[in-house]
Amino acid sequence: MQVDAALTGAYPRSEALVAATRDLDRGRTTPEAVAALFARSEGEVVDLERRLGLAPATGGILRWADLFRPIAETWSGFTVGPLTRWFETNTFFRQPILHHPPERAPGALAARLPAAARTTGTRAKAILPGPYTLAGLLENRSGETNEALVHRLGRLLAAEVTELKGLGYAGVQFQEPLLVVDVPSGPRAESVVAAYRAIAEAATGTATTVWTFFADAGPALPVLARIPVGTIGVDLAETEPEELARFPEGKGLGLGVIDPRTSLPEDPTAVVEIVRRILGTTSPSSVTLGPGGPLDLLPWGPAARKLEVLPEAVARLGGSA
Amino acid sequence: MTAKLFPAQEIGSIAKPRWQLLGQRGEALDAKARAEWTTWEDRLHFVPPGDATAAALLAGRPADVTPGGIRDLGALFGLRYFERAGLDRVYDGEARRIEMYEYPIRQMTGFQFLGHVRSFDSKYYLKAAATGPVGLERPYHVDEFAFVKAHARGIPKLPITGPYTLADWSYNEHYLGRHPGWRGRSVRRSAQREFVVDIARTAIRPTLKALIDAGCRVLQIDEPAAGTHPDEADLVAEGFNAATEGLDAEFSMHICFSEYASLFPAILEAKRCRQWAWEFANRDTPDRDGYEVLKLFREYGDTREIGLGVVDVHRDEIETARQVADRILRASKYLGDPRRIWVNPDCGLRTRSLEVAYRKLERVVEGAAIARRTLEGPSAS
Repeated sequence: MQVDAALTGAYPRSEALVAATRDLDRGRTTPEAVAALFARSEGEVVDLERRLGLAPATGGILRWADLFRPIAETWSGFTVGPLTRWFETNTFFRQPILHHPPERAPGALAARLPAAARTTGTRAKAILPGPYTLAGLLENRSGETNEALVHRLGRLLAAEVTELKGLGYAGVQFQEPLLVVDVPSGPRAESVVAAYRAIAEAATGTATTVWTFFADAGPALPVLARIPVGTIGVDLAETEPEELARFPEGKGLGLGVIDPRTSLPEDPTAVVEIVRRILGTTSPSSVTLGPGGPLDLLPWGPAARKLEVLPEAVARLGGSA
Repeated sequence: MTAKLFPAQEIGSIAKPRWQLLGQRGEALDAKARAEWTTWEDRLHFVPPGDATAAALLAGRPADVTPGGIRDLGALFGLRYFERAGLDRVYDGEARRIEMYEYPIRQMTGFQFLGHVRSFDSKYYLKAAATGPVGLERPYHVDEFAFVKAHARGIPKLPITGPYTLADWSYNEHYLGRHPGWRGRSVRRSAQREFVVDIARTAIRPTLKALIDAGCRVLQIDEPAAGTHPDEADLVAEGFNAATEGLDAEFSMHICFSEYASLFPAILEAKRCRQWAWEFANRDTPDRDGYEVLKLFREYGDTREIGLGVVDVHRDEIETARQVADRILRASKYLGDPRRIWVNPDCGLRTRSLEVAYRKLERVVEGAAIARRTLEGPSAS
């Protein structure tokens, strides 16, 4: 079985970026200087991904203020709302407020993805918010039901996927923590499946992933099994390995073996053992190792150090890195 | 129980005056800072006669302003600001503090700062990891308290960051690292418990004891992280108990912007907590009764005092005294006992201008007076 590794979410900003963005807020530097530093830093993330065998490359979405901001700022129908706690972390996002059914702005979202990921000769993966998580965390004043909105967002994201395919992206990953934090059932679950059907139709020839984190994926496995994407990722810091015996056949399994909530590096032997234990009870089509959630819960340096476990684990598991 | 109905207290920091910030940077006062100085000196009379720092600032001699002198003056300003607004319990507006995490951690041993983590947008905080057993370099806030005690006319109430928040805002390497193999949920929780209790016992408790030995009788333990992980409310309580074990003082616990219902009943195990000082006004809107959650105390039979947040610290709109009184009276009804209520802002007012914050504090006091008269009759003060 193919075992590989990839980045699975936002990467932290470097100390240089921290200083530059603070300076920008205080009027001590220019937007152009900060944009140039972002571009260099995205290149550094791609270099790191290449060195560690993490593919496709993401570039780290360093510029994004939060997972939803690029959509809230570029699609019509949205304004950017109040600070809201990002699940059980000490970080916050600005809640998008949806005033009427949204429309995408062609090219706008792609323009906010790290250019370095697809211009340096590597395969690239775009990371986007999933329709269920976006619909669930925004404030919906549009008049549409949540179910209708999830489906609509799926169709809009499908159009984004078509555009990203045209730009040469090899993969698209959707961040869906809410799928495991607040497991949908009934009509809500049907709307999720419908949304991803629309995405799947657009994604032919492109690797698609749904990555879940911040909660146990076990209770969500029945609905995750119905989502037509190639790979489903789970946060192993939250998910009991035994639960994955019920992982659906025929799908790739993403294993979040790095816990971004602690700076303590993972022990490669423990990682290899837990992966082998899981693969003893289930037979996914492929395995992708990565961080269990967004690495921007860590500073840049510790995040890079924790990633070092991935190539070693992949090698010991006989994979491709 | 309170001696008079609805006494008022401060709850946290206020914005630092511009003259203090310029003075700390060794810069001369500009016109804006001078105007601010004049406005507040006229109102508060916070400058002691013959104060050398004030003289140097006003004479345009910033080189003669010492770091200690300007902070002392800032602390006096904070004290008089709260006292003049009519509060019964006061502090210095946290005039000497910049934030509530990094400073306490730097007084401890066993921590290493790893770098900045984004809180939101382009706001970051420096985050440390416990890389060894937690210890205490020296008790902290003691000198700060001594100054307040020497100058306060009201009753001093000292705020200090609690053990659960310090642990939650740090990485837990040392305690987690003692558990070999795969570290799943149960291992992480167990290690976090060890971390919280160790901070409480080895760093916070000795600091509280030193403060109490210095004469501090009222201490507010700030646990803003308490609501981050609803299933860890028992750790918040356990940390509180470990930090206060064997100590004799009035302890309160300040929590804000959390889903309080999720903390019940585990949080009630904080045995030496005499007062729950929580934010309520922020969640009190025309569509939602922000005080209804107080019914939970009655439901669980908890009869401790409530530090009732009656003004929103996130909005410039000034509450009316009538609105504040209405909130107090509603809370009294839900608790079934008005004598358990202290009134305060939801949280620290540092994000509001000094003018807005002061007017909000005045409304707290005026609203409490209206509520008192409503319950005790027109003769109540």
